[in-house]
Amino acid sequence: MITARNLTVSLSGKTIVHGVSLDAKAGQLTAIVGPNGSGKTTTMKAIAGELPSKGEITINGHALGSLEPWQLAVKRAVLPQAATIAFPFTVREIVRLGLTVGPNRHADRIEAITSDALAAVDLSGFAGRFYQELSGGEQQRVQLARVLSQIWEPVLDGEPCFLMLDEPVSALDIRHQLTIMQLARRYCEGGGGVIAVMHDLNLTAMFADHMVMMKNGRIERSGAPADVMTDDAMEAVFGCRMRINGVPAVGVPFVLPHTASA
Amino acid sequence: MSLNDAVRGNSARGLSLMRSVQSRPAGDRTAIARLTLAVLALVSLVALAVSITTGASDASALNVIGALFTGSDDTALSMRDHIIVFDIRMPRALLGFLIGAGLAMSGAVMQGLFRNPLADPALVGISSGSALGAVLMIVLGASLPPALMIALGAFALPIAAFAGGLLTTLLLYRIATRGGQTSVATMLLAGIAISALAAAITGILIYMADDKQLRDITFWSLGSLSGMTWAKLFAAGPIILLALVVVPFLSRGLNAITLGEAAAFHMGVKVQRLKYIAIVSVAGAVGASVAVSGGIGFVGIVVPHLLRIVIGPDHRYLLPASALFGGVLMLGADMLARTIVAPAELPIGIITALAGAPFFLWVLLRDRTRNGW
Repeated sequence: MITARNLTVSLSGKTIVHGVSLDAKAGQLTAIVGPNGSGKTTTMKAIAGELPSKGEITINGHALGSLEPWQLAVKRAVLPQAATIAFPFTVREIVRLGLTVGPNRHADRIEAITSDALAAVDLSGFAGRFYQELSGGEQQRVQLARVLSQIWEPVLDGEPCFLMLDEPVSALDIRHQLTIMQLARRYCEGGGGVIAVMHDLNLTAMFADHMVMMKNGRIERSGAPADVMTDDAMEAVFGCRMRINGVPAVGVPFVLPHTASA
Repeated sequence: MSLNDAVRGNSARGLSLMRSVQSRPAGDRTAIARLTLAVLALVSLVALAVSITTGASDASALNVIGALFTGSDDTALSMRDHIIVFDIRMPRALLGFLIGAGLAMSGAVMQGLFRNPLADPALVGISSGSALGAVLMIVLGASLPPALMIALGAFALPIAAFAGGLLTTLLLYRIATRGGQTSVATMLLAGIAISALAAAITGILIYMADDKQLRDITFWSLGSLSGMTWAKLFAAGPIILLALVVVPFLSRGLNAITLGEAAAFHMGVKVQRLKYIAIVSVAGAVGASVAVSGGIGFVGIVVPHLLRIVIGPDHRYLLPASALFGGVLMLGADMLARTIVAPAELPIGIITALAGAPFFLWVLLRDRTRNGW
């Protein structure tokens, strides 16, 4: 389990996150939602150990500050929002970078996991392509494959591993959004944990076990999506009057990911 | 380009040499990289041998070495040949190779660290700091205490250049580091400012210099491998060699850092320590190189760039391959430098820039559309 207690993060003198406390349990998909600038990504970066913060963060009971970078790297992997790369790496080479640390550094394991990770994000056959020649959504999936390969086993030496995903489906088409969310779900079912910063409320409702709603650097609501997604919560957090499970009155077409069949 | 075709699995147009690679999974350039390393190692040995056996004089290295092994005291084998082979060509070839290797590998490290294929030790002010140190010594050396100058002897200029490069780097590092975090962007920008400042001070010194000093400055800044001695090799060689040995241990970290510093940390890299070791190694290697040979440009940009096209950007192969290729290129340029206008010599910096710049432009223009860099 990853816990944060009374987490406060300041960037260049401005406090972005105010006393946030949250638990991300193994076996669960924890989604952080909220409007732009509400501190979702900053909270995630602090939990990943990337930003200095006040408060207490633990991973599986270990204090974050007591772990060396390589020890952290086998317990959690982080998908950033955007990644540009200046050098002509092939897709396979990018994914293999994820296998720099950890228990899977043997050549045969590297080959197998690289192929499996690319298949998991629906990029089989892309291994020989150059990363820079791919579309934004394809690049995002390559990065996800790289992150996934870093902690390929959801449970390592009896301890759960955690995927931290910052807007993992933001650049993807609807089919691949579902693919990636199902992938995250399977990781949880395997005993690992997932923390995802999300913008799509429908996908969050479908896939999240635990939903954290942030606004102005504070947690506004948290709990199971069915409990926290109310008309009032939508207006309080997003400043926008919407009806949960309401059907539009006029004939503008709408489509929900809920209706997708596998 | 045939190598790229081979990488992409287009066997019809791929070099037959690369056919074996087809059995590897697509996008895996390990086999090409290893093959390239082996070829470069072989070419390095050949280049060193040719460099020692040929020159403006007809002295035969084979005779000299043969005489050593047989112990024969052939009177036909003059002392002159012995001196030419052992005291002129050998230190020149060895130090030249080391300088080329150091400059090329430093370029690769800087490009990895700054995540920019155009980064170069010259860009962050290391070279201009060294140049300022050298010019300071040429112009103001005469006003130093004579005892000190006699003690320093021929090392005065190299020491000044090395100190200039190292001081500039440490200053830059201090400017760009706040709260234990070195900002690579700040370092790049501050490097441009400090380069300009060093160039301005160098300009003042050139303005003050007399005719003889001006000539010294000009020749030093053009870069040359002439006048290499065992003493210079023992002074600069160990520093360059140390960097060449240490830097390859950074390759996994440099690979990770191409995805960004945060991503590298997430992947288990001690980013701050990596940056510190990389910067000090580069300052040492470049400072020592510039100190003994003057300004030799383009090796640090051209060599890693060309190698990336063939073997990819994986630093585990790129760093040693850059070192070998840089060394070979430097020896090749030096052979041209000392034979084109023999028995006189061209400054080698002219040759590397004359050949390097247009070649680099050609590669850039040809690959611009395809690779987007």
